[in-house]
Amino acid sequence: MTRHIDDLPERIGLLRDAAAARLVARGVLTGQEEPPLVAAIRAAEPIEDDRSRWDVRPIRELLDEAMRRHPREERAQADAWLAPRLHATLRITRAEAADTGVWNFLALVVGPDYLVWRHLPTRTKDGETPAVTADRFRGLHYKQGFARLWWAAELFRDADDYRPAVVACRNQDVLNTVLRLDIIDHRPTARAVTRLLEQGTVTIGREVNALATAINTAASTLMYDVMAPDDGPDADGLRQWIDDCDLAPPASLDTLPDGPDDGPIPSGSVDTLVKQFEKLFAEAPVRGREAAGTTP
Amino acid sequence: MKTAMPYPTPAGEVTLQVVGAKVDGRALPLHMISRTHQVVALHEVERREWDEVRLELRAELPRGELSAGAWRDVVCVAVLTEGATNARTTARLSGTAEDGVRTGSITLTRGSHRSRAELSLYVVATVEGVPGRIIGGTEESWIVDLQAREPVRERELVIHKVDFRNTDEEWLRPYRDAPWLIETTGEMPTVHLNTGFEGIEDLLEGSGNPVEKAVRGMLAAQIATEAWTAMFQAAVDGLDVEDGVPQWPTGWRDRVLRGLVGDVFPDLSPADALRELHARRSEGGRWAELQPRIHYAAARRARLARNLGTTVRTLERSGEDNRR
Repeated sequence: MTRHIDDLPERIGLLRDAAAARLVARGVLTGQEEPPLVAAIRAAEPIEDDRSRWDVRPIRELLDEAMRRHPREERAQADAWLAPRLHATLRITRAEAADTGVWNFLALVVGPDYLVWRHLPTRTKDGETPAVTADRFRGLHYKQGFARLWWAAELFRDADDYRPAVVACRNQDVLNTVLRLDIIDHRPTARAVTRLLEQGTVTIGREVNALATAINTAASTLMYDVMAPDDGPDADGLRQWIDDCDLAPPASLDTLPDGPDDGPIPSGSVDTLVKQFEKLFAEAPVRGREAAGTTP
Repeated sequence: MKTAMPYPTPAGEVTLQVVGAKVDGRALPLHMISRTHQVVALHEVERREWDEVRLELRAELPRGELSAGAWRDVVCVAVLTEGATNARTTARLSGTAEDGVRTGSITLTRGSHRSRAELSLYVVATVEGVPGRIIGGTEESWIVDLQAREPVRERELVIHKVDFRNTDEEWLRPYRDAPWLIETTGEMPTVHLNTGFEGIEDLLEGSGNPVEKAVRGMLAAQIATEAWTAMFQAAVDGLDVEDGVPQWPTGWRDRVLRGLVGDVFPDLSPADALRELHARRSEGGRWAELQPRIHYAAARRARLARNLGTTVRTLERSGEDNRR
């Protein structure tokens, strides 16, 4: 059961939480039925902006391609492929992305079958029918199936360079744990985390979780913004990139697209935090790792 | 900030004032900035399209104490955040000729904010050789409200007036007999007020004599009690649990929980109260026992007792007047 690209509306609309809640039926979560297309479209509000950034078609093309490229047993890897491309296609501000209506619409109109493909559990206990959790359809930014990818690309990219975001999305524990932390709203902090992944300081899930806990706890007494200054993204650079949406070709399926050129993260600040986080991680308790200094 | 830190912190108070604001270079009228409520209201900015707001800030730090203490490289940082947009902007304030006073500005960009930004202040220093230590800050943040018409802190409910019988919102039609409905699934909790219910609008909005006023107060308190109860239940139902520990939600759910737990569990700290709520919600029986306390907390918040008291008093008076 899939949404066919030619049956979809041309434009993204806003599907309010209350309307979305009524459309997420049990059968939708198990993949046995699709959310009613006509009812979902009718319940959505139009967006007053006729630029191509709200076009449905390029996004549906990406979903179809992601499912084509990744075998079902490796579907988690589709996250790292889709996140930067979704972000580069859906050129919106954080204020616009904070509107859950956008994500509800993508989930219930554009790609319900994608969410089932990506998130339906393969096993369940006691022979229950497997079902996707409702928060993949309508939920918080780090849970909802499309929002989490867009936000991961947004929060982990280094200006127009999506490579750090790809690194982040290859690790499900980063998406599940780190993405929800407020501390990564500081760009050098987010970049330092992906640097630690790149250099192999942290790899497996429990290391990522231990690191996340350690740096999040330390942030209650240490202010990373002062230790690692960042003038922040350049709003004009982002605005320019969004305004260019009608000029840009579709995001490449094979090479990584470019994101908004809104000012690189100061590398000196990232270096400072990498050192700091290495130290915090070395002292952090990791399940299965012997605590530092207690070797018999 | 009164949390105990594992290193010396100054005892004196830190304050932050927003002393001015400019919207794309034009000064925002001062009545849009409320020092009492610590709120900046941006909704009624005359130009609907704007790109950025620059807030002029003035902070006061404990005079003398900081220069005499064990703190080096003291910096003062304003932080502007919004949970919904994951926005975080910081700005350093610089020293002035006046002892203990720091000033500066911070810029809020339109694309990074949606409804309510929080502005707080941190004092950071090198302590015992460790740089970047947070040694103080404002106890209560300022709110920069992008939707409020007036600088008022509380904004907990949306009142949506609609005739349930004749509305495009099909789901409301089956409830056409109901005077109101409360919905808590959205971004903001909403009271749908059925204008098709004869007389309800006049009752809630007219001026009228003291009896009518009293009845209006009663009705409003009744709706508010229901709304608070529904919001509280919805906030508890939606709790996110990490490693078995319930997390404080964001937005209105956070405000509702924090606002009511004190009356639901008067003997517990907010964190313990949250754990207790979650534990009881997970095991059905003890949740039911909690209902009277939730209802009590909601009714208090809705000022039900006060409104009922006023109504009784007013009715007595009007009865006496009639006999005279």
